[in-house]
Amino acid sequence: MMTGVLGLLLAAVGGLAILPLFASGYLISFTIQVFMWMALAGSWNLISGFTGYVSFGHVAFFGIGAYTGGLLITKAGWHWLPAGLAGCLPAVALALVIGYPCLRLKGPYFAIAMLGLNEVVRALVSYFEGFTGGGSGVSLPPILSIVPVYYAMGGVAVAVTLLTYRIITSQFGLRLLSIREDEIAAEVMGINTALLKLYAFLLSAAFPGIVGGFYAWYASHIEPLSVFPLLTTITMIIMCLFGGQGTVLGPVLGAVLLSVFQELVWARFLFVHQAIFGALIVGVVLLMPRGILGVLQERYRLPRTI
Amino acid sequence: MTGTYAKPGKYTQEGYLLCEKEINDKGGLLGRKVRFVVYDDKSEPPTAIKLYEKLITEDKVELVMGPYSSPVTNAASTVSEKYKKVMMASLAATTSIWERGFKYLFMTISPAEVYLEGLVDLAVERGLKTIAVINEDTLFSKAAAKGTIELAKKKGMQVVFHEAYPKGTTDFSALLIKIKALNPDVIAAGSYFDDAVATTRQMKELDVNPRMYGVTVGGDLPEFHQLLGKTAEYVYGSSQWEKGLPYPRIKEFVANYEKMWNREPVYHSAAAYGACQIYAEAIKRANSLESDKIREQLLKLKMTTAFGEYQVDERGFQVAHKMVLHQWQDGKKVTVWPSQVAEGKPLYPTPPWLRR
Repeated sequence: MMTGVLGLLLAAVGGLAILPLFASGYLISFTIQVFMWMALAGSWNLISGFTGYVSFGHVAFFGIGAYTGGLLITKAGWHWLPAGLAGCLPAVALALVIGYPCLRLKGPYFAIAMLGLNEVVRALVSYFEGFTGGGSGVSLPPILSIVPVYYAMGGVAVAVTLLTYRIITSQFGLRLLSIREDEIAAEVMGINTALLKLYAFLLSAAFPGIVGGFYAWYASHIEPLSVFPLLTTITMIIMCLFGGQGTVLGPVLGAVLLSVFQELVWARFLFVHQAIFGALIVGVVLLMPRGILGVLQERYRLPRTI
Repeated sequence: MTGTYAKPGKYTQEGYLLCEKEINDKGGLLGRKVRFVVYDDKSEPPTAIKLYEKLITEDKVELVMGPYSSPVTNAASTVSEKYKKVMMASLAATTSIWERGFKYLFMTISPAEVYLEGLVDLAVERGLKTIAVINEDTLFSKAAAKGTIELAKKKGMQVVFHEAYPKGTTDFSALLIKIKALNPDVIAAGSYFDDAVATTRQMKELDVNPRMYGVTVGGDLPEFHQLLGKTAEYVYGSSQWEKGLPYPRIKEFVANYEKMWNREPVYHSAAAYGACQIYAEAIKRANSLESDKIREQLLKLKMTTAFGEYQVDERGFQVAHKMVLHQWQDGKKVTVWPSQVAEGKPLYPTPPWLRR
């Protein structure tokens, strides 16, 4: 079974690697956005899927990464690749500042604190108008080819997925899962839960920062409203739940299926697509609370490590 | 058509489709039928990028028209520029979009900066001296406020107050109380519909009494008066177009529009329709679908459609189209500026709330 899954994965990665050679601009653009969702849902999974600490403000890391990338390109004249990668630095710094106190909060408090964080960052970006352009945002030069962005974004998606695999097959991952199942018991067993959660949170913040940095280049215009929307966090959560939280391929599966589904449904039912999408989510949460991969693991005894 | 701009987006689409029908009724363009492919960008810039890629690389459209709103046009135009397709940006009013050096992007409507030129003009004519400016902190509204401030200063007015508020603000009392203390002659608001309604209502509640008060977007919609009733009286609003203006074929356009869509057109409809007519004319003159030939024609074209005048500078930036300023008088929108097209005189001065 494992080799079958591995073979399939390798074929998929190989196919995606040569896709820009023959695909239309639309397909490339669509795939870039799927990669983006894979990386974002996968990052959310690292903290929320593993530890059960639900983050409702994850888009803050994406947004701050987008502004870092955008400003480094326009104000400092950086090449887009290092500028995008640099997006992870303020995201991780922010995660450290907020994570240290907030990860001690239990229950809904962490979720709400994260929601507040996103609003604070957005307000600050609007406020420091001289530096960030305020509500007008930052305009970048238009890009001539989206193919390099395709590979960069794909690289982040792969990196997040590999890292998740590495974590789930390590003691670190097991300990994180033990926090999700019963945090007090984990503490009694001598696990330093505060430190573990913080590590997971920092990793989980780094990738949205990079994705945001690449997104700024791809979209060529960013503004507070377009890079800090609550809807982005919600989409990450839905994709992760849909595919299966706490698994390696869950976020990948969720991102691909929901993106394709939205694309197909939206094209055919211009006016009701949002209702159909919503109904699907409710159905999945009710019928498959552990997501598609969770069901597959139970029914077909797929290994827990995928 | 979903998302924040669903409503004006729908009007834009209707304007395009009326233009499509009229062109086809007259035998098409260069001997061929015109067919519009329309998608819903959900008012989101990234979705627009993906869709314009789809239109150009998969649907293989030969020409592209702009979406609704400045942020979405900003994103979409990076795609059309990359593929060297001429885009008639029918509903983007933000100057900065034309400062990016794009070659294939053409503007149809007047820029945000001159939306309240009429308000400033009328105020100066009446000898008013001080003005307070507020605006939503977004691309268009900011540009509108900045333009108003520059015009006011140039004409010798004193800007006593300027502050921005974030999108989604519903309580303007803090801003309005500060303005009340300064007692300016004029209040100008760079607004969209929701905030325009809320500020007007709260000005009455807080008894803020400028001699003139005008808003950019929202004041031109019938819903503005329906929601506010008498409170909307005396309020000035700016518009890109009104159905009573003396432009060629305007009556025919309004009649055909009502026949096709069972409602009156608004300026978004007219701008979309006008942009499509201008594009069609340039293609006829170029006698080709080649981008560079169409571009050349669009750069030197001067024409007046049902939407008004068209002429652009070397950047593709609109220089001929004129805004109008109207005032709500007895439940009717009366165009009061510019004087060449005015339907009536402005009711001046605005009486204080207590005496209305």
